[in-house]
Amino acid sequence: MYALPYVILMRVHQAAITARRRSRSWHYLAWSAVAGVLASLMIALGASIVLLLWGVGLWWFSIPMAGFMILPVIASPLARHLFVPLGWHRVGYYAGLLSRPGDDAPAYGLCVAAWAFAHRPSPAAEAWIARRRDARKPLGDGEVVVTALVAAGRGDADTARPLLRSVAMLIEDHPAVRELAGEWLATDAAERGAWSELASDALAARWPATPLTYFLEGVACCRIGSAGAPSPSELRARWLLAPYRGTTRGLLEVPVVAAPPPAPTEAVALAPDAGSLEPAPVDGGPLPRAVAAHLAFRSHDPSANRLAATVRAWDAALADGATHGWLARRALELDAPLGAVDRALREVTAAITDELAHAAERARLGAPASQGPVGDGLARRLRHGRLDALETGFTRWSQRRHDGEAHAAIDEWREFIALQAAYDVAVEAGGTELRRLAFPHAFSTGSNMAAWLWNARNEYALSHAISKWLLAEALAVGDTEAIELGHRNCGLHVPHRLGKPG
Amino acid sequence: MSIVDNPFFVLGLSPDASRIEIEREAQKLLGMLELAFEGAQSYDTPLGPQPRTAEAVRAAVAALRDPYRRLIAELWVRNAPPIRRTAPPAAHRAPVLTGLRRALGWRP
Repeated sequence: MYALPYVILMRVHQAAITARRRSRSWHYLAWSAVAGVLASLMIALGASIVLLLWGVGLWWFSIPMAGFMILPVIASPLARHLFVPLGWHRVGYYAGLLSRPGDDAPAYGLCVAAWAFAHRPSPAAEAWIARRRDARKPLGDGEVVVTALVAAGRGDADTARPLLRSVAMLIEDHPAVRELAGEWLATDAAERGAWSELASDALAARWPATPLTYFLEGVACCRIGSAGAPSPSELRARWLLAPYRGTTRGLLEVPVVAAPPPAPTEAVALAPDAGSLEPAPVDGGPLPRAVAAHLAFRSHDPSANRLAATVRAWDAALADGATHGWLARRALELDAPLGAVDRALREVTAAITDELAHAAERARLGAPASQGPVGDGLARRLRHGRLDALETGFTRWSQRRHDGEAHAAIDEWREFIALQAAYDVAVEAGGTELRRLAFPHAFSTGSNMAAWLWNARNEYALSHAISKWLLAEALAVGDTEAIELGHRNCGLHVPHRLGKPG
Repeated sequence: MSIVDNPFFVLGLSPDASRIEIEREAQKLLGMLELAFEGAQSYDTPLGPQPRTAEAVRAAVAALRDPYRRLIAELWVRNAPPIRRTAPPAAHRAPVLTGLRRALGWRP
């Protein structure tokens, strides 16, 4: 008699949570309210049944009924506010299992365990989590998130960040696991003040949002004044829905900024970045202008605009007849050896190119389009250096297949995402030309590795993610053969734990 | 050789300085550095003050004795903007909310 209404409430509650995960509008708040009311009803119904059973003397039956009807509803908040802060990784794991997170509950349970580990790291807890993670094959999003949270627990946020972001590439999709990944990334971005990154995640709806993520995304959109920023009342509603309201109250009082300035026009892009502490326009010819641009580039955060301005200024200065004339005259006055002018120009060009190339590498900037000794040298150096580094990395990765040196699946994944990040950085900096040059080698090694991971290692999700990335790159560079192979590989059914067709 | 380690800035001289002036200034600076005079401990450049050492002074004199190296030093220093007597202001960065992740239930 009581079971049927409870089961109906449970199903509707799960449907409300699922619907909430798909939304980032006012529906999110509505579905959250519905889910909250339903959870309260389930607890009330469960508690009344337990009390009734206890009252009629069936106390021995009331205990499992409490476990079935009340615990699943409160397991998730209990884990977040009690087991995780206490660092109880095992209890957290079982709370995750009990909280009915959907199919394949152990994936979520392990993530909660890793979250708890982060609060009280110990070698024993790490070994316990790693043993359970490694027993789960093939690799899926749960295992990657667990690894990332364990890395975060050890204080290695720089490892955790790309690992969590890489989850979006995997076909296996545990919504509850991805909510945790999204929340970690949101709090991390908020701590770093990376509001644009967080707003971009919100606009792309990369992760199903927890109430805390949803609130932080709203703050981010308000801070950068992006489209879709919530109104003050909606932001307050999000805040009310999220946990840790005492901590996040301060974020509510952030002034909502105006819309971001328009993208720079070509004329602006040629000049060093506006708004920075630049020297006033320099009179006196191309060489003083080049030195001033160089010093401005050195004394501020490197940017593509500043680099372009500096390179163009140097190319103009070094090609200028006045510079050559002054050098020749002064070389005579100083009694410099024969050929000193050409040698000085070569040395200055090499020194400037070297310094700008180092700065561009560090800041992951591309070579600006500029015809001249500095522009050409910089483009050549950046392109060759990046291509060589990429080819070495991909070759080393695929070499393991021939050497029979099989790493754990998670390590294969980490190596792939490191290579992919290096490739993306190089392509972003080097443009389409470098992309076309880098793709064939990446495609050949990546395809072989994807086939090996699928056929020999049964790592289907991993292999599929690599194939999907290669297909996207093939489409970007227009490689017909690679596109055809990519479509064939990506069209394969990918077996994974959630059982849905891939 | 560029701006911050330019021999003329290290010695605090103009690019028109003669060889005799360069040698005399270097000897004076070396003596002041030996006696740890506060005024000799740093030199001004367009990118702000830099620490001055006896090795840097000796290297600067050696560079300016070579006509070719002096030519390159002059190329930079004659076209440099005015020197700056204070360190440049730090670049503006987005404020970091240290400890927020921890306060929101995530470690580290």
